[in-house]
Amino acid sequence: MSFQVKYFGMLAEIAGLSDEVWNAAGGLTVGQFRAQMLDKYPAMRDKKFKIAVNQKISEDFVLIETPAEIALLPPFAGG
Amino acid sequence: MEKAHKPKKVFVQGPISPDFVAKSIASHQSKTGIGAHAIFLGQIRADQKEGGLVTGIDYTAYEEMAEQAFHNIREAAFAKFELTCMHIYHSLGLVPTGEISLFVFVSSPHRRAAFEASEYIVEEIKANVPIFGKELVGDAGFIWKENT
Repeated sequence: MSFQVKYFGMLAEIAGLSDEVWNAAGGLTVGQFRAQMLDKYPAMRDKKFKIAVNQKISEDFVLIETPAEIALLPPFAGG
Repeated sequence: MEKAHKPKKVFVQGPISPDFVAKSIASHQSKTGIGAHAIFLGQIRADQKEGGLVTGIDYTAYEEMAEQAFHNIREAAFAKFELTCMHIYHSLGLVPTGEISLFVFVSSPHRRAAFEASEYIVEEIKANVPIFGKELVGDAGFIWKENT
């Protein structure tokens, strides 16, 4: 499966890009995706962030169903 | 019947000018059912950090999700408070210290709803809208801001 991943704020700086296509061998939950992502970008390990699936903040047990847009959201700072 | 409110454009590029705020107030003079406006303005503070003074905040957002979050906040506020109208503007890009980055403007027949709605809306924005802020510090440093 493959899906779109968007990075914001400090996470985009760590990844060195603001979006990419993520390819995975089989189905993934949000938690499994998080683990793969931290392997790819170890510098994100000590950063706080939430994961949104199709613009909805999602728990780790949620299964990612394609087509999906995943977004990594660091702490909010509006106002 | 549920009132439907069209999604409105919230984001503006750069600071929100005092002139824009004044014109927004003036444009409500014809709405004579209004007895109270409440306005909240968020201004960039020159905090002292380790690397120097904050000189501004560079805002980015997950815009599609943020627009939806603003829309949800508007709908919730209209349902919760007796409001005649509501406007929310937030900056993207660089806003220098001393300038305005958030403008919340609510109008009601009576003051209580206006006071309460403005506080509710600002707190909801800070907690639930995916906006990110890079505080520029001193000559070249930066710190990613985090709402508490």
